[in-house]
Amino acid sequence: MATAGIALRRSGAWVETVKDLRTSTAGRFFSNRSNQIAVLFIGPVVVLALIAQWLPIQEPLEINIVDRFQSPSLGHPFGTDGLGRDLLSRTLAGLRLSLWIGFAAAMIALTLGVIIGTMAGFMGRGVDRAISVVTDVMLSFPTLLLVIGVVAVMGPGVTQIIIAIAVADTPRAIRLQRSLAMGLRSRPYMDAARLASAPTRWILVRHVIPNTIAPMIVVATLYASNAIQAEAALSFLGLGIVPPEPSLGNLVADGRNYLQNAWWISTIPGLCIAIVAIGLHFLSDGVRDFLDPRQRS
Amino acid sequence: MSTYLAKRGGVMIPTIIGIVTVVFLMVRALPGDPVVFLLGDEGAVGAEALEIMREQLGLTDSIPVQYVRYVAKTLTFDLGNSLLSGVPVVELLKNAIPITLAVAAASVVFSVLVAVPLGALAAYWRTQGKDSLDQGLTWFAIIADALPGFWIALVMLLVFSLHLGWFPVSGTIEWTDPWQVFTRLALPVVVLGIAQLASIARVTRTAVLDALQDDYVRTARSLGTPELTILFRHALRNSMLPVITVLGLSFGRLLGGTIITENVFSLPGMGTLLVQGISGRDYTVAQGVVLVYAFLFISVNLITDVLYTRIDPRVKLEA
Repeated sequence: MATAGIALRRSGAWVETVKDLRTSTAGRFFSNRSNQIAVLFIGPVVVLALIAQWLPIQEPLEINIVDRFQSPSLGHPFGTDGLGRDLLSRTLAGLRLSLWIGFAAAMIALTLGVIIGTMAGFMGRGVDRAISVVTDVMLSFPTLLLVIGVVAVMGPGVTQIIIAIAVADTPRAIRLQRSLAMGLRSRPYMDAARLASAPTRWILVRHVIPNTIAPMIVVATLYASNAIQAEAALSFLGLGIVPPEPSLGNLVADGRNYLQNAWWISTIPGLCIAIVAIGLHFLSDGVRDFLDPRQRS
Repeated sequence: MSTYLAKRGGVMIPTIIGIVTVVFLMVRALPGDPVVFLLGDEGAVGAEALEIMREQLGLTDSIPVQYVRYVAKTLTFDLGNSLLSGVPVVELLKNAIPITLAVAAASVVFSVLVAVPLGALAAYWRTQGKDSLDQGLTWFAIIADALPGFWIALVMLLVFSLHLGWFPVSGTIEWTDPWQVFTRLALPVVVLGIAQLASIARVTRTAVLDALQDDYVRTARSLGTPELTILFRHALRNSMLPVITVLGLSFGRLLGGTIITENVFSLPGMGTLLVQGISGRDYTVAQGVVLVYAFLFISVNLITDVLYTRIDPRVKLEA
């Protein structure tokens, strides 16, 4: 294996391949080590979660009382729960839900953050003050508490959870976008645009947002990870996704009562959360390198 | 100092008003009629009973009147009675707050005691060309951050309480019996500590690594000061500021963590009270707990800012 590698490296073909990889966008993305680790962690999980319904496994809600409390085996790789439901199938369904919640909440926070944050940075002191008072108040609640509060008001359910998590993340996104936008105000190209009497809207769309979007996307990756953790915590506390619909959090909660005799019910879904979170951690590193123009050769 | 505190406190006033308003509105925005929930619907108890209850709870007045009354009551530490048990919320909080604070504070102490020396050693060994501890810490940080707190808590419970039987699974907390308090709080403290350990160790490591390159370290070395003295007395001391920053910043997460950990280890703290309040629709209880959490949170932010100036005389006092 090692000699083959050296031989390949010596031949010119290898160098050419690497050059190709570096120049194409996708190649540049995947030649980053962080992104490779991210794909290694999230790739299989995403694919499995998306194709779960066509896999030859029991339906997530199908009860099979004869097979209850089966430990992990070939037939049930993740074991079964107290009602004989297949935990692989339930975990994958939970994962799909988690991925959706993470994506949706992060996108909402990102969009609102960019729009409101830019407004705070460019629409004058009054608007800035008003926005910062609201964000300050929202940030004076611990994140999980804010999420719990919003869910308590709106009731459980997927949409409600997405909104609750987005509400908690948005003030942070607004603050970041505001400070990024403020930092751009004194740049020479901004002065040039203003001197050329470019309309404000044009300046914002052409100069401000493109120059702030990269760090915003990086934090959005982390928001997605936090959202998945928040949903799991909520459902674990019994305030999130209501059983029997499976979510990674309520699967862990469900296994609590059988911890001693059926350890797999709680532990495996919990590990899945960690795998996704580790993957997203590396993805945010990789995306940061990828979007940073200084890293481009 | 006192003018700084006054200024900084002044900035908090709009935030406090905001918090009280949000908490008030939170309960008004709840769906459903709390009176119907408490007594059953009209058919079961009759419209008259519902009306009396509504009167008692002050729900017949207009929203602004209710708001003013709520603010006035809150200012005099009257948070109402629990809708379910009738016990004053303040009484419930009196029992719950010490537990949450004890667990949170102990976990901070635990994580600092473990993480700071670890981070310092990692930095020191790195300057000696050995970076295995450094890399180990990086991976530990990633994994500790990724594993959900409730999962770590459950696994600890499974291993140390259920299998090894070292710690009790449940039971009340008698503050007069230190050993009982210790066995009951040890696992939750460690679980909460792990979440902070990683980031504290990483920050210490970076700060110490920076400090080891400073002039005073070279001076100390040239005077023949032992390496460990340089590391722990000079470099580490000057690296505490970022550690305090991280502790302050992660306090929100710590509070969130207490909600979950108390739940797993059935500790009767504020987190348990909150979850019970929300799932039992005991709104006054939930409202009171949220208020206390928010106040704790902003107070700690203030304390962190003040500590800053005490520890590093270079930080200017500007509100």
